[in-house]
Amino acid sequence: MNKVERSRNYQHRVRQALNKPRLQEALHRFADAYTLAREKAFAGQDFEELRNGIGKMKDEVRDNIDHYLNQFIANAEHAGAKVFVAKTAAEANAYITQLALEKNVQKVVKSKSMASEEIHLNQALRDANIKALETDLGEWIIQLAGERPSHMVMPAIHMFKEEVAELFSKETGREEPAEIEHLVKVARDQLRQAYLEADMGISGANIAVSETGGLALVTNEGNARLVTTLPKIHVALVGLEKLVPRLEHAHDIINVLPKNATGQMVTSYITWIRGAVPCADEKKELHIVFLDNGRTALAKSPHCKDALRCIKCGACANVCPVYQTVGGHVFGHIYISAIGIILTAFFHGLENASELVRACIGCRACVAVCPSQIDLESIILHLREVLGEEEGIGAGKALVFKKVMRNRKLFHGLLRAASRLQKPVTRGERTIRHLPLFFSGLTEWRTLPAIADAPLRDQWATLNQVQAQAKYRVAFFAGCLNDFVYPELGHDLVQVMNHLGVEVTMPLDQNCCGVPALYSGDRETAIALAEQNVAAMLADDPDYVITTCPTCTMALQRDFLDLLGDNPVWAERARHLSEITCDVSRFVVEKLNSGTSFEKVADPAAVTYHDSCHLKRGAGVWQQPRDLLAQTGRDLVEMAHSDRCCGFGGSYSFTSQPDIAKRILNDKISDIEATGAKCVAMDCPGCMMQIRGGLEKQGKKIRAAHTIEIMAEALPQD
Amino acid sequence: MDKKITQFIQALRNVGGVAEVVKNAADAVAHIGAHLQGPLLAPDSHSLQQAGLKDFLSQAGIEMVCDDFRANGAKAAGGLTGANFGIAATGTVVLESTDENVRIASTLPEKHFVVLDPAKIVSDYNAALPIVRKLHEQWPQVYLAYLTGPSRTADIERVLTIGVHGPRELHVLLLEGISSDFMER
Repeated sequence: MNKVERSRNYQHRVRQALNKPRLQEALHRFADAYTLAREKAFAGQDFEELRNGIGKMKDEVRDNIDHYLNQFIANAEHAGAKVFVAKTAAEANAYITQLALEKNVQKVVKSKSMASEEIHLNQALRDANIKALETDLGEWIIQLAGERPSHMVMPAIHMFKEEVAELFSKETGREEPAEIEHLVKVARDQLRQAYLEADMGISGANIAVSETGGLALVTNEGNARLVTTLPKIHVALVGLEKLVPRLEHAHDIINVLPKNATGQMVTSYITWIRGAVPCADEKKELHIVFLDNGRTALAKSPHCKDALRCIKCGACANVCPVYQTVGGHVFGHIYISAIGIILTAFFHGLENASELVRACIGCRACVAVCPSQIDLESIILHLREVLGEEEGIGAGKALVFKKVMRNRKLFHGLLRAASRLQKPVTRGERTIRHLPLFFSGLTEWRTLPAIADAPLRDQWATLNQVQAQAKYRVAFFAGCLNDFVYPELGHDLVQVMNHLGVEVTMPLDQNCCGVPALYSGDRETAIALAEQNVAAMLADDPDYVITTCPTCTMALQRDFLDLLGDNPVWAERARHLSEITCDVSRFVVEKLNSGTSFEKVADPAAVTYHDSCHLKRGAGVWQQPRDLLAQTGRDLVEMAHSDRCCGFGGSYSFTSQPDIAKRILNDKISDIEATGAKCVAMDCPGCMMQIRGGLEKQGKKIRAAHTIEIMAEALPQD
Repeated sequence: MDKKITQFIQALRNVGGVAEVVKNAADAVAHIGAHLQGPLLAPDSHSLQQAGLKDFLSQAGIEMVCDDFRANGAKAAGGLTGANFGIAATGTVVLESTDENVRIASTLPEKHFVVLDPAKIVSDYNAALPIVRKLHEQWPQVYLAYLTGPSRTADIERVLTIGVHGPRELHVLLLEGISSDFMER
């Protein structure tokens, strides 16, 4: 399939998924229940410390894999196990099918193993005329349906009891009622005999302990205990990343995994198996097949290697707004959601990951819950760059980024021209409600703001700064939206800063922060823009650089360092800029101790607050804007899912995945509306564009405002 | 009562397990008899022997299966085992089950009864670690199980359902003075 067909095919699947409201509802409901259960399970524990420990331990194994693998093999073999290291999926399949043929195995029972899904083991066994039966309830359901898992922990989460009843009825030849308890009993009864009849049991493993040469299986149903007990041969298929040095490390994972996967304190069963244990008056034949299949390559990738820390809990799917919207069959290949994107690229090839890479909205919700401290979003961003290099980023984008954005005067000149050209559609208003012809889709579900008549940069010289003796001199990095779409926020900023004793400059050589190019995979343009911006922002040696857009903040704080950190000409300056960059809410609260600087508004109408992804999970700022709302006398009413993405994601909502973005926006608007607040505050012009546009299009009388506006309104009048 | 014991009981009940303190072997037998309808798989175990449970059970008219577990396992209504120790924080029973009969008794029947000396309840995973390590050091082959409540699934519509492939009920009977041996096998 070529790139265009592949994209078209993917968009088709997205649209199909969007037409399944019942699935979306189920996944949303699950996400809510999961979030609560997880919080309760971790109560009293320091999640940051736990995940830091797991991350470090996994890195130690990754960096010394030969040592830990050899130690494991020696201990396992000493206890009577046979160990095989399969370099590829084909090698693993060949070893297991060959073994089955040699031992004259007719029937195999399997417990859940994502590694076996990864290598398509069932297909390989079928090709050798060996019948493999899945015994995990979810896996059995999807095996009967001829589907693949849509979640790592809950493989059949996309199916409903009526569908399961239909599948089971076919299997039993009776009419099975669609009652969950009954269906579970059907599975128990149907599979019972199979354990006793099977000649081989195949399991995965959650942990392989080098110190002991044993495996640990973390399960709930009890099928893995039967699979590893009754058949005379046990084959365990284990990804190399499952190795841990010692038993205490296994306990660390056992402590965290159930809590983070399903919000359980502990699973029903943890099973430790070492060596050839007794089996029907003989010794069990235990084969441990370690699977490489791209893992060694992943371990050597400087940008992506942290993905090997994954303990396969599936939390990154649970909290992902894209997953909740389209499900794991669309937002996944074999492995799903954020970690799935990365593992797919390395285990199944970049071509199978490319659409998924672009379907990530970059909200970092996954990063916040990852139990191994993997910065999934950064790795996905890197894969986007790789894809940009391998496949190109599209002629249109390439032209804009390379020829236009890198040339600031041309870029800004075109924006000014666009401001004039848009007149026929804006009819002189600040909002575009409809666009003609093929652009109409862009304004179908949200209005768009018009480009301002005069950008902030053109108005800057006329802004009256009242600042006799400044406490600080700060440079304002406006970002494109602030500069060209919402220049009024710049006025508010100057008023607030001046009142708090700060003088603001706006270096006019600043350009786009480069995030649109970077997130589209054009690293080269992002580097060029980073250099321009570092030079521009540091030219006057400001005390701080402040921002009103958290995506720009992340660019200045994080991305410029990554882009320029290896360049001796720029590294030091990029580091300095990173250190002095601060978003405005945090700056006001922490550097200016704004405490009593504002006058509480007379009418403290309820305000709700939307946490922007890059502010909360990028800059780590969420309390400060709430403090400011309180300082200005607002009555804060928290919305449900306040830190769930609004669906903007820059070009995500325009060109990559507007249909998904629209659905995510609708969720946000429902949450805002449910608070009854007449105003929703936020700290991001991108979110503002999205949320304001959606509220307007739906005719909701709710104001969407930047926190800086609310601060400006609460300045004492003198 | 020792705080660890109350914590153990609460944690196990929280996940749908049955946890009862019994005064003597007769009480344990009464509990088992009240919950069992059918044959009982009872593999040899130090704890069971110490408590003299098997004799009591036979006297109470319970049909005991003591051999050929593979053939009889599927027909049995319950399994009875001892336990190496318990973990209070999670309500977990740790059972050395390298002996295949112990595994069958604790996996195939619908009900699993465990007798555990409450003196062998430790506080948490950290406290369990040295014992688990020692169990690994003692014999080359190890099949060790942490059992916490009944078998469960949520694979259909995320609805928690008890008793899919493993025991539908887990009864832990806390009986003092039957074993101080954490290594029993």
